[in-house]
Amino acid sequence: MVDSSYGQESSANKSISTSPEIDGLLAGVGYAIRPSDLPHVAERLEKLDSAIIAAAAAGLPPEFLCSDAVHYNPSDLAAWVDSMSMLTSLSSPPIHPAPAPWPVQIYAPAPLSTPTVDLLAPEDAGINLVHLLMSCADSIHRDDHPSASKLIHEMQILLPRVGTAFGIGKVAAYFIDALDRRLRPRPSPPAEDEILYHYFYESSPYLRFAHLTANQAILESFNGLDRVHVIDLNLKHGLQWPALIQALALRPGGPPFIRLTGFGPPEICEVGRRLADFARSVKVPFAFTRLDEIQPNLLRVEPGETVAVNSVLQLHQFLSDPGSPGPIDSVLSWVKALRPRIVTVVEQEADHNRPGFLDRFTEALFYYSTVFDSLESAAAGAGPEVYLQKEICNIVCCDGEERVERHEPLASWRARFGRAGLWPVPHGSSAFRQASMLLTLSSGEGYSIEEVEGCLTLSWHGRAVISASAWHCGDGVDAPPLAGNIFFNGYSGSDRRE
Amino acid sequence: MGEEEKHKVEQEKPCSYNINDNADLLAEILARLDGRSLCAAACVCRLWGAVSRKDAVWEALCNRHVSSSATDSSFPGTRTVVAALGGYRRLYRRCVGPIFDRLAASGDHGPQSSAVAAAAAARLSLSLFSIDCYERLSVGGRQRPSSLLFLGSAVDVT
Repeated sequence: MVDSSYGQESSANKSISTSPEIDGLLAGVGYAIRPSDLPHVAERLEKLDSAIIAAAAAGLPPEFLCSDAVHYNPSDLAAWVDSMSMLTSLSSPPIHPAPAPWPVQIYAPAPLSTPTVDLLAPEDAGINLVHLLMSCADSIHRDDHPSASKLIHEMQILLPRVGTAFGIGKVAAYFIDALDRRLRPRPSPPAEDEILYHYFYESSPYLRFAHLTANQAILESFNGLDRVHVIDLNLKHGLQWPALIQALALRPGGPPFIRLTGFGPPEICEVGRRLADFARSVKVPFAFTRLDEIQPNLLRVEPGETVAVNSVLQLHQFLSDPGSPGPIDSVLSWVKALRPRIVTVVEQEADHNRPGFLDRFTEALFYYSTVFDSLESAAAGAGPEVYLQKEICNIVCCDGEERVERHEPLASWRARFGRAGLWPVPHGSSAFRQASMLLTLSSGEGYSIEEVEGCLTLSWHGRAVISASAWHCGDGVDAPPLAGNIFFNGYSGSDRRE
Repeated sequence: MGEEEKHKVEQEKPCSYNINDNADLLAEILARLDGRSLCAAACVCRLWGAVSRKDAVWEALCNRHVSSSATDSSFPGTRTVVAALGGYRRLYRRCVGPIFDRLAASGDHGPQSSAVAAAAAARLSLSLFSIDCYERLSVGGRQRPSSLLFLGSAVDVT
């Protein structure tokens, strides 16, 4: 049926088309549309598609979008898509300015009021939605669940008018869903963790920046050493390490012997195997060990090895409510006892560990609006958003031990590391140049790198999103661990892959 | 004298040297082209296609991006590492080409501006290339390595 020559098709369809300006190809399959309308229809269909996907991701039933639609003549594509667009408020073209500064009055919880939903323009509806979100968070903060439920219901009605394809509507949809899950817990659909992680990795520079900056610091600290031991507090899929192995392979003087210890579930043995294959192909002597996160004292450091500890978006999981003791202190003293040459830490630059729910909610709303805005510029689609949705739900829905996304800003970490006896190692100009170059390659005009007291921060339109820092023990450790080190006990209970 | 006359006769004959008779010389010439011209050259004929696919030609191209003289840019061991990661042709196609194009277009960190920037861009290319190689080693999960998609569609030389 498909014929590459347009001329042939249109001549075959001349008998079907009623007037010369109707597109011949589409008329052949039953749709009457002018060629001049085609770009407009294509654009509207695309927006409609993303609105439906976003509504589905927010848990809203698809009937929301079309329950009030009256379809006059579906074959008249232009008119039909316009009637659908009105329902999803897609009439104004999307603009992506920098996120506007939030009005100050949002901090004060708004009084409960029933907005006149039908008469609001989309922009006012957006502001109203934010007010409703704050009121709902305040109700939950005061344990007033009935009002909170009522507000959630109102927001769900308002949401289609704001539009969830982009901007505040999209972020709000995820937060409304999270608030709903807090009030009515339900199992979340099983998510393909690895695929979502890769979507997030590919569509934004955050993880690449994290990995390459940490690698640069580790590389510089390993200068001139023959046996190195890298400890990764959360190996995940190991995407950080090929670049380091390759850089060490090309080191003048040849590569050192690299031992990598990764913390994580048993599945990461496969990751370790792959990294070992990779290292073998570039002729770097390599050994991999997996450890369970609850058994850090099984870690074995051989004499003569220089240690680097790496944590990307992991340390905050050891925090607890401010003021109460948590695993973080024992983790930091464990790290310090290893006498590492360098400790590389990458963390979200956000304050999501405040004790009060309303404070936490407000901070999270600001932060994830910024991140979603940056993802939008990359036209990333729903993948990375669903990856972030898990973090949002954890911050909003969970408490106590279940809440692991306890992000704290760099200033808090600096103080904490100082108390534990770890002092900052400033990133060199190579790391800064590499990060800037990485940003130039990434799509999205709003990214920038700042250096704050030696630490590099990746920001979107001036708002810091993620920060990379490096630390070392204050007592000038240069020598590798001594033979009397408590961890060197000959225990070989962990999996080993060489 | 007979030899002199013979020599004169030979000189008067039209020169019938054909570049296609000497693949090594052809490789030397093609190694001085830029990426797009090299891809165009690969389409000329089967011999040119085969010569343009030689990794040494792409190695010269990659090294030229790093420094103007091809002799002092690569240090020992690079060739084996790049070959293990997938070869210079793939390195150029997936990383060096798109990266240097994008940096030149953006203006401010143009690798032409300094040797330091060019070396940094080359190191970044190798880092991203190694991640791509590692992804290709993965057997389960997703089918296609996608860590380099953010660089945009690369020049296809296959």
